[in-house]
Amino acid sequence: MDTNKKSSKLAIVVIIAYLLIPLVMTLIYSLFEEWIDILPRNFTLNAYIEIFSDAVFWISVGRTILISVVPIILCTIIVLLAMYVTYIYKPEWDKYIQILCTIPYAVQGVILPICVLALYTSVPKPFNNRIFLLISTYMIVILPYIYQGIRNNLQGIGAKKIIEAAQMLGASKFYAFFRVVVPNIMNGVTVSIMLSMAIIFGDFVIVNTLAGGHFQTAQMYLYDVMKKSGQRTCAVIIVLFLITLLISACAFFIQRKKKEEA
Amino acid sequence: MSYIEFKNINKFYGSNHVLKGINLKIEKGQFVTLLGPSGCGKSTLLRSLAGLEEVTDGQIILDGEDITKKEPKDRNIGMVFQQYSLFPNMTVEENLAFGLKLKKLPQEEINERIKKAIKIVALEGKEKSYPNNLSGGQQQRVALARGIVMQPKVLLLDEPLSAIDAKLRKSLQLSIREIHDKLGLTTIFVTHDQDEAMVMSDVIHLFHDGIIEQSGTPVEVYTRPVTSFAASFIGNYNIFEADKISKITGVQWEKQVAIRPETIMMSRTPIENDDRFKMEGIIKEHIARGNVLRYTIDVNGIEIYADALFRSASIFNDNEKVYLSIAERNCVCI
Repeated sequence: MDTNKKSSKLAIVVIIAYLLIPLVMTLIYSLFEEWIDILPRNFTLNAYIEIFSDAVFWISVGRTILISVVPIILCTIIVLLAMYVTYIYKPEWDKYIQILCTIPYAVQGVILPICVLALYTSVPKPFNNRIFLLISTYMIVILPYIYQGIRNNLQGIGAKKIIEAAQMLGASKFYAFFRVVVPNIMNGVTVSIMLSMAIIFGDFVIVNTLAGGHFQTAQMYLYDVMKKSGQRTCAVIIVLFLITLLISACAFFIQRKKKEEA
Repeated sequence: MSYIEFKNINKFYGSNHVLKGINLKIEKGQFVTLLGPSGCGKSTLLRSLAGLEEVTDGQIILDGEDITKKEPKDRNIGMVFQQYSLFPNMTVEENLAFGLKLKKLPQEEINERIKKAIKIVALEGKEKSYPNNLSGGQQQRVALARGIVMQPKVLLLDEPLSAIDAKLRKSLQLSIREIHDKLGLTTIFVTHDQDEAMVMSDVIHLFHDGIIEQSGTPVEVYTRPVTSFAASFIGNYNIFEADKISKITGVQWEKQVAIRPETIMMSRTPIENDDRFKMEGIIKEHIARGNVLRYTIDVNGIEIYADALFRSASIFNDNEKVYLSIAERNCVCI
């Protein structure tokens, strides 16, 4: 029993170390001017001061947040509406929606933005707008994660019966779905949203292909910095990591607070 | 005119004819049970009354009004589901207030009604609890309170006790019946458990394969089954073809005969009573069923089931010879 506990603890420690060591090394590298021998030398915050005082960096981060949040909100709303229709009125459509939402798994990488560009460059405004294309493409990329999160949670809480119970108490189907069912699944859906956020935050291929130099995001800023300074690159990675962590923490905190209030 | 009327109700799922021309009348204030095995159409009829299923054909009248095409929210019918279906993110109080708020009742009246409903189902002190923090029995009582707090015209109970353990189920059966008597609410209860139907109902409608096989009080349905299905589903009757019962009793019968196992007398010595059918048999096996022992007896190659109270002094052994007697009045022609 004790041996089992010890080996479980050891496994957890190894996993945590495996995940943290690269991050800690990056942090250390960003805080010292030299790291040639075993120990780094000349502690400095210059890399951080430089990127914090660079307006381009903040604009890039702002753009990244924008192109992350907007597709997630839009995609969640669209999938919820689609799920409402399939769940309530057309359950037989569910299998087709599932196939449709799984397709983006198969056309990831560079294929998707190239196809989008080929299709939309000659179409009239606003459909050929780069930001519009970028947001729409990200909506496709995150579709499987958002769909699966919502679908699993709907099934998990027995949404159909809850809607029927609400109907018997005087609610319409629409009201029952969006005012009773949706608040109950949002805790579970938050995980899908965070996953989607991480995917968009870490993307370089799609944004570079679709927007190029017209719309610099955090990943593209990072790519530019990589050519100039190793310390600054590490500092950008650490700051981006902290921003993602902060956004995730905020999302979970809001969810938790809502739950407590409820 | 009856309070609730189902007129020639038909329901198809694709080519599957689930309800076959159901005609049913329910009086105000009655506790009615729709009884039958799974897939017989009893829940479909209940859900049609609630508005959760559309009927293919026919008319549903409630309190003189045709509600066949009405939305569930406009029918003023309360319903309790098998899986409770409480709203997980709301407290007991909020679950109860949900429908009342939609009705836009004044807050004072909402509070008053919630207090009353909580008292009826004996859940005082649990108002601020979430469904996940309550036991199965408590959750079902919340669901019941949520049904009655709306003061509906009819309360529908769709197998509400199936997910609850046997002991608690018995106590909830009595609670539900008591609440019904107290409020005088017209209640329709769906179950596949004949004992539950017997304990709770004023009237039982026995369903089989989309039709009502028999309707009547629990005593009528139990003692006078009209079909072989009714006899086998309620009371575990012995059902004999005419030739077999004629062979056992020595009297010519024209129809199938049903005999309740507990009406068959068993003895180690010949029974001296001229007005009963008498026969001899060999005990093949016996099974304990609570306070009753069920014997399987071979009488001239025909199997008969007989029940006897579980008293150690009168237990018969397997392969023992027994004398049986059956009163003619207990032989029900079906």
